[in-house]
Amino acid sequence: MSALGTSRRDAIALAAGTAVLPLIAATPAAAAPVAAPAIGLGRDQAFDLDWRFLRGAGSGLEAVGLDDASWRKVDLPHDWSVEDVPDGKRPRQIGPFDRDAVAGTATGYTQGGEGWYRKHFRLGALPVEARVALDFDGIYDLSEVWLNGKPLGLHVNGYTPFTYDLTPHLLRDGDNVLAVRVRSLGRNSRWYAGSGIYRSVRISVLPTATRIAQWGVGSWTRRIADGKAIIDITVAVENSTHGLTLTNRLRNAKGRVVAEAHGTADALAKQTLSVAAPHLWSPAAPTFYTLETELTRGATVIDRMVQPLGIRIVTMDAKRGMTINGDRITLRGGCVHHDNGLLGAVAFPEADERRVRLLKARGFNAIRSSHNPASSSLRAACDRLGMLLIEESFDMWHVPKLKDDYSNYIRDDWQNALRAMVLSARNSPSVIMWSIGNEIPDRSTPEGLEWCWKFANEVRRLDPTRPVTAALNGVLGAPVIASEKAARPGFAGKVDEASTVFLDVAGYNYRLEDIAADHAAHPERIIWGSETFPTDAWDYQRMVERAPYFLGEFVWTAMDYIGEAGVGATARIKGNVPFYLANWPWVVAWCGDIDLIGQQKPQSLVRDVIWGLSPLAMLVQRPIPEGQKEFIAPWGWRDELPSWTWPDATGKPLAVRLYTAGDRVDLLVNGTSLGTKALTPKDKGIAEFAVPYAPGMLEGVAYRGGKQIGRQRLETVGAAARLRLTPEPGAARAGRHGLSYVGIELLDAKGRVIPEGEVAVELAVSGPARLIGFGSANPFAVGSLQSSAAKTFRGRALAILRATGSAGTVRIEARAAGLQGGTAMIRMA
Amino acid sequence: MDAPLYPPSAAYEAPVRVPYAVTTANTSIKQLLADPATKAILLQEIPGFEGRIGNEQLKPHLDNFSPRSLVQFGLFKADALDRVDAQLRALPGKGDAK
Repeated sequence: MSALGTSRRDAIALAAGTAVLPLIAATPAAAAPVAAPAIGLGRDQAFDLDWRFLRGAGSGLEAVGLDDASWRKVDLPHDWSVEDVPDGKRPRQIGPFDRDAVAGTATGYTQGGEGWYRKHFRLGALPVEARVALDFDGIYDLSEVWLNGKPLGLHVNGYTPFTYDLTPHLLRDGDNVLAVRVRSLGRNSRWYAGSGIYRSVRISVLPTATRIAQWGVGSWTRRIADGKAIIDITVAVENSTHGLTLTNRLRNAKGRVVAEAHGTADALAKQTLSVAAPHLWSPAAPTFYTLETELTRGATVIDRMVQPLGIRIVTMDAKRGMTINGDRITLRGGCVHHDNGLLGAVAFPEADERRVRLLKARGFNAIRSSHNPASSSLRAACDRLGMLLIEESFDMWHVPKLKDDYSNYIRDDWQNALRAMVLSARNSPSVIMWSIGNEIPDRSTPEGLEWCWKFANEVRRLDPTRPVTAALNGVLGAPVIASEKAARPGFAGKVDEASTVFLDVAGYNYRLEDIAADHAAHPERIIWGSETFPTDAWDYQRMVERAPYFLGEFVWTAMDYIGEAGVGATARIKGNVPFYLANWPWVVAWCGDIDLIGQQKPQSLVRDVIWGLSPLAMLVQRPIPEGQKEFIAPWGWRDELPSWTWPDATGKPLAVRLYTAGDRVDLLVNGTSLGTKALTPKDKGIAEFAVPYAPGMLEGVAYRGGKQIGRQRLETVGAAARLRLTPEPGAARAGRHGLSYVGIELLDAKGRVIPEGEVAVELAVSGPARLIGFGSANPFAVGSLQSSAAKTFRGRALAILRATGSAGTVRIEARAAGLQGGTAMIRMA
Repeated sequence: MDAPLYPPSAAYEAPVRVPYAVTTANTSIKQLLADPATKAILLQEIPGFEGRIGNEQLKPHLDNFSPRSLVQFGLFKADALDRVDAQLRALPGKGDAK
């Protein structure tokens, strides 16, 4: 996104093409925290810094004259649900977790409630006709906003972006007071949603009432042929008048103009760009252009929008599957909720990018944003890094899943929600489908069918360039036939099923056994595995290899998250107990391939093998006491670890599993062979050995066709000796949004991570950053996620620092009783 | 290569339902319980049937899940559902509908 120039002269210069539009001037580095930049003319200026926050309910807190000096200073994004429970007392309150929280396991025993934000701001001298708009990327859940005591509106969807026009109530030369009341009440979410202004806020100051509409530019690659790409662009203009000119200009990565179109700007203008020898966007090569859309009157630029543009064509059909730019691609997908682990729901650009990077590294090429529209920063990271994205609008329609959920508002708000989701994301090349719902109750009833048609049709009206899908669990309803008027093109008069009749692509949640049979009955149906069990990865891989109508799977989930506590639990229960129901102190779902701090769990190591990233994974089952059995929840995994350190099991047989794409494996303990096993397709890549435990080295070797393809060793580690701190690479660490992730490992004297090491660690941070997250992947309520004290879990913890905006070096030191501490130095940009 | 389009359709008209043979795989629990004849078979063959589906999280989904689709979650056993299906097949206008 861009900022407009700060003067009319700049704008004129731009119109003449003689200068690059200047960004809002950066504030020089200063003592922490660095002051927020001044607000001038320009689009999408950061508005996240220097807010005041009060956790609690109240009336009249929007009043202009209210003294908010005692309110806590916060920078956005902010989520109060991840903060320690105020005045919490163990054992019922531990850190942010409250055993008595009304939402219980759903939100991981975190609290919602009410909170208030206020921000004072002044504007520079503005043209008389200037218009000021405030863009919220997302507030959870219900929000009301006032400017200078005047109400601007109520927003009822916790995930959709929205805008308020500040102009009518703005003090152009005085202190403006913005107040935001946020409520997350009762049982409104089935997972951890956070509470507060957890996504970014931006302010746009435009010189006149005539402007490009919010999300008003739509671009679409219509054709790629004969060495060129044809891109259609539509531009919606608000308050358009005669004499306006519209220019769309495409620049390549070097800034060179590769295509340009000029014309008269009407309320809805259409232009076409032709790009010779285009560099195409794909997950493997996410190449970008920059689209500049300019609205001019005479020689004056009155509005200008700049956004990335990826040239790509995505097709899906049952015979070829999915293609991008003509090349077939299978989806290696993961469902993710929106939280950023220890940080809670806050959508820092660097945190969202880290998630995408972690998933790319594990072979994922697609994310399902379940069950809500993603933050703009996650979507931007997907665009930049080449991660495909399925945006999802709703977790329920007209029938509630929970008493206080969005079903209370959807009848009046659905068009707002769909418009916000689709128009804000339609230019992202990463977005390949729109999902209109997840596991929607009563979707196959007559009323459900009508809602389905309304939602699907509205999405197609807003963006006819992408297919509409939904995630379907259970059964798909009665056989039905749609009429010519209501049906998708080409499907009138054909027998379909109630849940799929109005969808272009059907998402199957846990319906592995139905895929082939449904294809036989409905050969034109395109299917993707919108939710899958981690344990079915092998079967889904075989399915995607043989069935083009099946696009790929999306495991539930790619990353762990707070809430839905223990849905992936593994537990030991007595032999006569049928199942285990996870509740307090479980607070994390524990179903992710990647854990809460970014480490691979066993299922991820196995997925590496199935997806060809690794030839071999070797895991050891934790001993199960006599008289007990292991209960594995449907989304869970065996309690096995890449560890050969089992001090209580000497001489006892342990189950060792080798997961491989090979056809034969050898296993050795301390150099002595324990035998060889040949694998057949029936084994699904798993060879299991019973091995009497003896400390030392366990070694597995995998072969294919007689050739060694992989070797892995697990060593018995010694006692904990020291801590090691390792800053993660990749973060920009700039400004007051800059983050730095620092891994903390518990090592033995030889530098090996203690596989199940748990020690209390105390952190000290000095320099231009502050600690905003510290904890482990432990799925239980064990402590604060923000204090300087935490325990390692499985030998690891993670600290997250937020920059104060100054350049300089941050020193982070970790100490643990009886161990050698560790330090790291981090250079902040 | 031309990009595909997914245009909106003209107007909503309720789809026409096609008769089909009811089974524990293709029919939702809500539907099966709404019909006295099929409900009686379920309750007879699966003791405690209604208790198994009384979970608050499951309740909203009773029109999405068939009994058979819950076998993977351990709520029902396939052999019990086989017995239900055998009786459903004998029900005029339900299990024998085409």
